[in-house]
Amino acid sequence: MNREEILNNIKDRFKDCIKNFVDKSPKRIYIDIEPKCLRDVVCYVFKDLQARFNTASGIHTRVGFEILYHFSFDNLGLIISLRVKLETDKARIDSITPIIKGAEWIEREMHELLGIDFVGHPNLKRLLLAEDWPEGVYPLRADYKEWDKNSIRDRGVKE
Amino acid sequence: MSIKLKALLKSPWVFHLSTGSCNNCDIEILDCLTPRFDVERFGMVLAGSIRHADVLLCTGSVNRKCIPRIKKIYEDAPKPILVVAVGECSLSRGLFIHSYNCPVPLDKIIPVDVYIPGCPPKPEAIIAGVVKAIEKIKANIKNNKQMKK
Repeated sequence: MNREEILNNIKDRFKDCIKNFVDKSPKRIYIDIEPKCLRDVVCYVFKDLQARFNTASGIHTRVGFEILYHFSFDNLGLIISLRVKLETDKARIDSITPIIKGAEWIEREMHELLGIDFVGHPNLKRLLLAEDWPEGVYPLRADYKEWDKNSIRDRGVKE
Repeated sequence: MSIKLKALLKSPWVFHLSTGSCNNCDIEILDCLTPRFDVERFGMVLAGSIRHADVLLCTGSVNRKCIPRIKKIYEDAPKPILVVAVGECSLSRGLFIHSYNCPVPLDKIIPVDVYIPGCPPKPEAIIAGVVKAIEKIKANIKNNKQMKK
C-alpha cells in the first residue's frame, strides 16, 4: 500500500470522525479526530494498516488538552499523528491500551502529569512521581502552582 | 594524624552518585579515570559500594525521588566522608531551579565539603577540586595539632 492509498482509505472510512486533515509534508500527516471515535481509528491504523505505534504525547494549552498518537509506516517513512482535543474540565478519553499494549505506560504518565482520565485502562496508577506527591496536583498543567512550602527557589545570593 | 585519616588521604576511594543528572558530568568523571587524565596517580579509585568509599561524589540536580536515597547513602557511608558536589546542577540546580521535581539544592540535604562548578566541569577542574579538598583536610589537621601544642 502506498501513501495515497493509506490516506484515501482513512479518509473514506472515517468521514464523520475526521475534523481536519493536515498534509504537513511528504513524511508527516496530522489528522484531527473526534475523541469518541479514537478507538476505531487507532484499531484500523494499527491492526489493518499495520502501522507501528511510536508514542503518544500530551500538552495542556489555554484551550484545553491536546493528545497526539504517533504512528509510523517504516517502509514508507511516513508518520501519521492522530490529534485529539479535550476541554480542561472534561479530561476523559478512551484508553487505547486494550488495543495496543505498548501504550500502557505513556497513558499512565499522561494521567499523573496532566490529570487526564483514560477510561478502560487496566492499571491506571502513578508511574514516575515521588510517593509523597499530593493527589490531584498535576505538574504539567498550565495552571500549576508551587505547593511545597519547604522548597527553595533562589540561589542563596542576596542583591 | 590518625591511621584512618592518613589512609583516607593517601588513597581516597570514590563513590559516584548520580542524583538525576543529564549524564554529562558523569561522562567527565569517567574521563578523569582514563589514562589521559589518570586520576589514579592521586590514589583515587571508583568504589563499587558506598561502604568502601571515602569520598561521595554527587552529580545532578537532586530530584524528589532521590532525596531519601541520598540520605540513606550518606548514613551508610563510613565516617569520616568527604562529600563533593560536581556540576552546576548539584550546586544550585542550574536551569532546573524552578522545576517541580527539584525542591532543594544538595547542600540543604547533606553537608557538602567541596563544590566544583561548571556545566560540565572539565576533568582538570574535578581533579583540582578533589586535590584541594585533600590539602584542606591536611592543613586543618596541622593547625589543630599546633593549637594543641
